[in-house]
Amino acid sequence: MALDEYKPQKGGSELETDHQFKYVGTRPDRPDGFDKVTGRARFGADMYAPGMLHAAILRSPHAHARIVRIDTSKAEAMEGVKAVVTRADFSKNVPFAPGMAGEFWNILENVMAGEKVLYDGHAVAAVAATTPLIARDALKAIEVEYEILPHVTDVDEAMKPDAPVIREGAADKSVPEGMHPNVVRYHESGHGDVEAGFAEADLVIEDHFTTEATHQGYIEPHACLATLGSDGKGELWCCTQGHWYVQKVCAALLDLETANLRVTASEIGGGFGGKTTVFIEPVALALSRKANRPVKLVMSRSEVFRATGPTASASMDIKIGMKKDGTITAAKGEFRLQGGAFPGAPMEFTAMCAFACYNLKNVHQVGYDVMTNRPKQAAYRAPGSPMAAFAVESVIDELCNRLGLDPIEVRLKNAAREGTKASYGPTFPRIGLVETLEAAKAHPHYSAPLKPGQGRGISCGFWFNHGGETSVSLALSEDGSAQVMVGTPDIGGSRASMALMAAEVLGIPFEKIRVTIADTGSLGYNEISHGSRVTYASGLATIKAAQDAVRKLRQRAADKWGIDVEAVDWVDGCAVPSGPNAGDFDPLPLAEITKNMGATGGPISGHYEATPEGAGVSFATHIVDAEVDRETGSTRVVRYTVVQDAGKAIHPTYVEGQFQGGAAQGIGWALNEEYIYGPDGRLQNPGFLDYRIPVASDLPMIDTVIVEVPNPGHPYGVRGVGETSICPPLAAIANAVSNAAGVRLRDLPMRPSRILEELEKQQGDA
Amino acid sequence: MTITFLLNGESVSLDRVPPTRTLLDWLREERRLTGTKEGCNEGDCGACTVIVTDAAGARALNACILFLPQLHGRAVRTVEGVSGPNGELHPVQQALIDHHGSQCGFCTPGIVMSLVAAHLSGRTDFDDVLAGNLCRCTGYAPIIRAARAAAREPVPDWMRADQSFLLPQISRGEGAARGAEPPMHARCPRNADELADIFAAHPGATLVAGATDVGLWVTKALRDIEPVIFLGGCDDLKSIEITDRTVRIGAMADMNAVRAAVADLHPSYAEMIRRFASEQVRGAATIGGNIANGSPIGDNPPALIALGATLHLRRGDERRSLPLEDFFIDYGKQDRRAGEFVEAVSFPRQPDRLRCYKLSKRFDQDISAVCGAFNIRVEDGRVAQARIAFGGMAAIPKRARAVEAALIERPWNQDTIHAALPAFAEDFAPISDMRASAGYRLGAAQAMLERCFAEDLGEPASVLEVQP
Repeated sequence: MALDEYKPQKGGSELETDHQFKYVGTRPDRPDGFDKVTGRARFGADMYAPGMLHAAILRSPHAHARIVRIDTSKAEAMEGVKAVVTRADFSKNVPFAPGMAGEFWNILENVMAGEKVLYDGHAVAAVAATTPLIARDALKAIEVEYEILPHVTDVDEAMKPDAPVIREGAADKSVPEGMHPNVVRYHESGHGDVEAGFAEADLVIEDHFTTEATHQGYIEPHACLATLGSDGKGELWCCTQGHWYVQKVCAALLDLETANLRVTASEIGGGFGGKTTVFIEPVALALSRKANRPVKLVMSRSEVFRATGPTASASMDIKIGMKKDGTITAAKGEFRLQGGAFPGAPMEFTAMCAFACYNLKNVHQVGYDVMTNRPKQAAYRAPGSPMAAFAVESVIDELCNRLGLDPIEVRLKNAAREGTKASYGPTFPRIGLVETLEAAKAHPHYSAPLKPGQGRGISCGFWFNHGGETSVSLALSEDGSAQVMVGTPDIGGSRASMALMAAEVLGIPFEKIRVTIADTGSLGYNEISHGSRVTYASGLATIKAAQDAVRKLRQRAADKWGIDVEAVDWVDGCAVPSGPNAGDFDPLPLAEITKNMGATGGPISGHYEATPEGAGVSFATHIVDAEVDRETGSTRVVRYTVVQDAGKAIHPTYVEGQFQGGAAQGIGWALNEEYIYGPDGRLQNPGFLDYRIPVASDLPMIDTVIVEVPNPGHPYGVRGVGETSICPPLAAIANAVSNAAGVRLRDLPMRPSRILEELEKQQGDA
Repeated sequence: MTITFLLNGESVSLDRVPPTRTLLDWLREERRLTGTKEGCNEGDCGACTVIVTDAAGARALNACILFLPQLHGRAVRTVEGVSGPNGELHPVQQALIDHHGSQCGFCTPGIVMSLVAAHLSGRTDFDDVLAGNLCRCTGYAPIIRAARAAAREPVPDWMRADQSFLLPQISRGEGAARGAEPPMHARCPRNADELADIFAAHPGATLVAGATDVGLWVTKALRDIEPVIFLGGCDDLKSIEITDRTVRIGAMADMNAVRAAVADLHPSYAEMIRRFASEQVRGAATIGGNIANGSPIGDNPPALIALGATLHLRRGDERRSLPLEDFFIDYGKQDRRAGEFVEAVSFPRQPDRLRCYKLSKRFDQDISAVCGAFNIRVEDGRVAQARIAFGGMAAIPKRARAVEAALIERPWNQDTIHAALPAFAEDFAPISDMRASAGYRLGAAQAMLERCFAEDLGEPASVLEVQP
């Protein structure tokens, strides 16, 4: 059977689980490996243009202030300064609207402050000059008069009646009456009767948890090179997770026709969600338009911390009831997230993910999106889910401890499976949570003895995964090699995965396929590389585009043989007659067809555009051993095992890489990383010197187990894997540390002082 | 000023270099060698790691806080310069591909350079080799697997070129000094005598030793630090002399050299130095700089004060010595006169009983919340002598005299330790900041004394000292 003739199976899926893969599931070297080890890979700041100017941004030193006056005349008069821009140089046609409806307005307001500065680091003006030094000096010559306003940086404080109002009218219709204007969105969901459920329980635990804002911590600062003329046509090179989105937003913010701005994505030095929006790109374009020269703009590390999106911080209340046999009778959660001075904290994801791992009769969850004087939050790997798992899985661990139950058995007993009505509404199709729990239970780690001072923690985690608008083209060359153009920047080895899937369909070796991240002028719209969607959606589109090309290859063979195309199959890279009745012809290899394609009907390529909606949800179970020094509160993670459902691992090494990466970031978030604001509302640790992400000695060699429960919504069964890996770590580590210390840790990060305080409280109580 | 160095095997001479231009900036903006990355511009992330070779050997350094004049007479190798003459990959590069050690790849050039430096010297303590290289994607496991694989391969011939680099025509200091006639922007003295003359004549100049701190004044605080005196050419200030009676460490000895020198004498001090900073920072940072900057959280002074160290200062031909603890007067204020510089620090030899404890949020390469050093001599079950000093507990590195007094001549037992704990509050009133609260600092300092006692009894080490 030819690959393009897969018949839809159950539920409209196209799953071919019996397929014997030749390339998919192997582990070839990544095509970008050579570039990366030799320094040849070009990242955001590695591009130069003739006549290029260097730009710098003036940022607010205040957490909240009204801009009374900006005078840029002295800066403009400086030798070497070619352009200065303020908010006046951006579009006036971007409408303000409450909540997320006005997201473009929010982005514009974040890119360049309007009437007020809303956080420490908020952009106020920008300069382009002939050298970076002149640009920085010119910033000092810009006079800004501020009227300082009261500020608030804590989520619970921001909800109190006397909290300063960050912006009137920002709340959308979802917010119940009587809430503070800083509460801008509200979410409520669930089913059953939680109070009745709690009444059935043998033990009910209710507790309060907090997590601090953490930064994605990509090592590459945001960087771009912009060229825009007064004719409204421009080119932009930037490091981004989604250049079509950059194109769309920049065009709106600068009153351009979208198609007149061509955006090329550079190699990207990490994003983890933080490069899914724009910060400097519209500024560089505005400067370029004014100066009529190319403008390069590169953020410093402190700008990255002060002005790009950290994740939201959270304040959460959880209540769960359990019977003595481990059955959860009811669960309730209230999640208050601050996402900075704009709507958008992912509180609905927090609420919806919180109890998604469990089959619950009675569940209720509430979310609040709260504004504070902090930078606009950006997505960070499964945005909203890790903190929910931290709170919920901590309470489940405590219930297990007090009822003397095994934490994996309890989770198995309550686990969501195919047919479970999810806590957030839909009914799950085939999912892999039980399989990850069984694999964790069987893993030697789970039964390994612990040393004194050590504790073990278990946690499950959930993420939705996403499909999204996708467009892929595949072109065959005369020599039988293939170029694949995808529109999703490669943030996890996806060029290798795409090549493997194309190889599988075309039947030619991996090495004969080159995958390129196309610019916005070369393909249809592609959504951002986010939502763990790339291997799923771009992978699906790559398979379909390759199948489209195969159909044309079969047609050429059919034409040559003078038979019907339906009588031609595609096997191992060759056209073959589909059976004895089709005729007796030698297999015709791909390269034999492409060699003459110009004369037999023209170039052969394949295309696919769609918005696939079958991204399979994803679950993981993590096992962590941690040890605690009771005298100083220091901790160390000594063993870590990630078990996660990948659906089908296209390139298993890169699946493992995503598992390890999520766990590593989770370790940092759980133990050490945090945004620290002073009473003046200024960020106190805007650098790697004081915002400490894990180094090699902080991490064990993280072990991984790939579980494969195929996703019915993808031809090869792929589920996204990039984000789920960061959902369980906060909880798993907190459970391990709590079990090692003998006290429950409810606040992240679990820095040494915090653990010591809890230990001292425990001694005081005893 | 004119400086000359080797870049990826080729000689480079630069005239009229701005003295505070960083190597990273020059590589990228002038040479378009963009393989060397800027991730933080303050020596924390290691994305800009290059290898610098001189008579003392090859070392990995952060190009972002390395000023061009510091390279005079040395050989620099970047990621573009580690492949073979026909483009063949270095074993480290090949292993990183084979073991999938790159995800996004932005940190990879720096990791390549740190691992190439380790490969050259045969080091296999990869957690330490990589402590100054941040990777946010991989969790480091594939990188360490690659490093282990590469360690089995021999050093390629082409990597030996820099080691034999000793061009007589650019013997260090000459060219640099020549171009530095008034108005003085920068000088590169070749020895302590020249330094003494220049600094006495220009007492307002900024002394640059390893630039791991001063570098940040330029790259972060955007300060104009000219005129500058670069001390890297003063080889006579780098000597470490160990006699039967004393250890004398020249001010320009870098922290890797100090670590090696004290490894056998005081292993606890050496281990603290390991955690003090990354390989790249230790290879540049000097003991003189760490003392002279007077930071309340510098990690050397507590250990040195506990060892009874003496500081040797010089102005012109005038020399004086003082107990190290007396050098620190108040926050940002030291007993150092205009034109005076640190020549050396010395401490008496003694049987090792020094215990150093460094408490930071992260185990490696982090600023101490509290750093404590204990030098307690017990005779016949009684404390005969105690010198205890802390960093992070006051505005200066400070001795814990009340705690010492509470121990001396008392029996070395749990009761004495407990009785001494309240004395910490007499010695110290620490501040609360983002690294730790006052209460935590005080409690942790007390816990360090208890730990010191427990260790003396042979109780097993815990997280605080565990080697990762």
